[in-house]
Amino acid sequence: MTDPLALDPVLPPRGRSERSARPWNEDLPHDERYEHFEAHVTAGGKIEPTDWMPDEYRTAVLRFVEMHANSELMGVLPERDWIMRAPTLRRKLALTAKVQDEVGHAQLLYRVAEDLGKPREAMFDDLLAGRTKFHNVFHYPTRTWADIGIIAWLVDAAAIVAQQALRDSSYGPYARTMQKICWEESVHIMHGRDVVMTLVTGTPSQRTMVQEALDRWWGPLMQMHGPRSDRSKDRDLHWRIKARTSEELRQEFLTIYVPRIRELGLTIPDPELRFDDVAGEWRYTEPDWNELRTVVTNHGPKSQERLEFRRLNREATAWVRAAILSEPGAAA
Amino acid sequence: MTIAALDPRTGTALAGLLLSMADDEFVIGFSDSEWTGIAPILEEDVAMSSLAQDELGHARALYELLAGVLGDGRDADALAYDREPEAYRHARLLDHGRGDWATTIARRLLYETADAARLASIGEGWPPLAELVAKIRREERYHVMHVLAWTDRLARAGGDARSRFVAALEALAPDAPTVLAAQEGEAALLEAGILTRPMTSAAASWRAEVAGILGPLGITIALEQAADTARSRSGHSRDFRWLWGELTSVRRSDPGATW
Repeated sequence: MTDPLALDPVLPPRGRSERSARPWNEDLPHDERYEHFEAHVTAGGKIEPTDWMPDEYRTAVLRFVEMHANSELMGVLPERDWIMRAPTLRRKLALTAKVQDEVGHAQLLYRVAEDLGKPREAMFDDLLAGRTKFHNVFHYPTRTWADIGIIAWLVDAAAIVAQQALRDSSYGPYARTMQKICWEESVHIMHGRDVVMTLVTGTPSQRTMVQEALDRWWGPLMQMHGPRSDRSKDRDLHWRIKARTSEELRQEFLTIYVPRIRELGLTIPDPELRFDDVAGEWRYTEPDWNELRTVVTNHGPKSQERLEFRRLNREATAWVRAAILSEPGAAA
Repeated sequence: MTIAALDPRTGTALAGLLLSMADDEFVIGFSDSEWTGIAPILEEDVAMSSLAQDELGHARALYELLAGVLGDGRDADALAYDREPEAYRHARLLDHGRGDWATTIARRLLYETADAARLASIGEGWPPLAELVAKIRREERYHVMHVLAWTDRLARAGGDARSRFVAALEALAPDAPTVLAAQEGEAALLEAGILTRPMTSAAASWRAEVAGILGPLGITIALEQAADTARSRSGHSRDFRWLWGELTSVRRSDPGATW
């Protein structure tokens, strides 16, 4: 039997005595449990996989984490082609490491989701059949090397704004996983900025290439956090699965990155973009929400091609999974 | 230490040795990194990317040594990228396209064991290489453990997995000995203590090692004596030309630019 002490370093810091202070785990009528649970979560408390939880909460966390995992997995594909084309040994190593990180994030997040009761293979089935979603930015093509810089710098920056807020998620395993992911994403941003910086200070064709990439990615970046939502109606906010609204995240992204983009001499392709001193917030051209809806329902420019690529790859490697799950020597 | 500091015969032979070792690591690093994002399981995906980064890191260190030896102003990137495909000197074993997972594991098994035999043949004659080889061998130890675990798993799984693996080994076997083909100017390298044994002797110990790994699994493959270096490391395949086209495409789009 495993010595429980050996598990201490990987288990959340909680003693046995604290367990009795978690009354929703006690044998109480459902409504009483629910009330204790809700009061704990809305007061900023954490939930662990061994806790009792209402179905509504479990389903909501699972949906949220599963989409995040799907996004990390599908997010590998736009950058992957350029691992072969990275133009120096240093860039090749950095990009391989970055994409490796994304695969690693997918693995961590699928494990968090697995603990909530859905097997990994079922999540792949749903993703590939189009029953679950992945983030809008991963439905677009990468046309030049400059896209690799813009993705690592700005797409990852927009993602990290959201992910930093998720470190406060009420679901403990997700919050802890986000600590690691945020640290790695911050390294990606430095890599991306370095790629962009090299291009803007390079030849005229390199400068054109990077401006053109920014022009193409700006729309999807502004859509990435989603339309404004009503805080009081958002169940993910109620359960503190996430901590901040779409618009709060977009405003923070603009506050940090608009000056940094302009500092490099790049032009943001939105004539309406300005900071409104009176309102204390950014004004911008309304993002194309119709495009967002079209894209995330797998009708984006690369949605079907990428899903098909994953389906074929999954089929082509099925024999390997079968081999390592079989009993060694069974058929030898 | 540039080539001028060594006697010309040894310097030329050393440059040849460094180039073939660097190109081998560079090309297998590319083949392995083709699995990044699409390996059979996520855990293995992460592992394969680490292996690829190790190989590419070794290639970079070897090209840097070579740049110092040549002293002609080309840096590691110029050596790695700015050559025509026929100027690459990787072994023919690495000329095969990525292939399926069985081919990847078979190639890694044959290459890692041959590379280990080559690294074990590097002496103290040229300290910069001896120091780098000591560092590389520490990492390659884990690569061998990884590939032996997969070899065992695929061979013992039976059925489709074993058939695929054996077929891949048989397909690669004729080209496997090219990694340990005799080096040009080998006599000078032996005299200078840069090599401690001829490549034919490294190849003999490698063949015995492979037989020791595959024999207990009931697999026999024929590993012949390699042709000479020129034939073993030239006349590259269409698969490699495709890879070369990809890996140089961004660089060729704006020659001379900084990336």
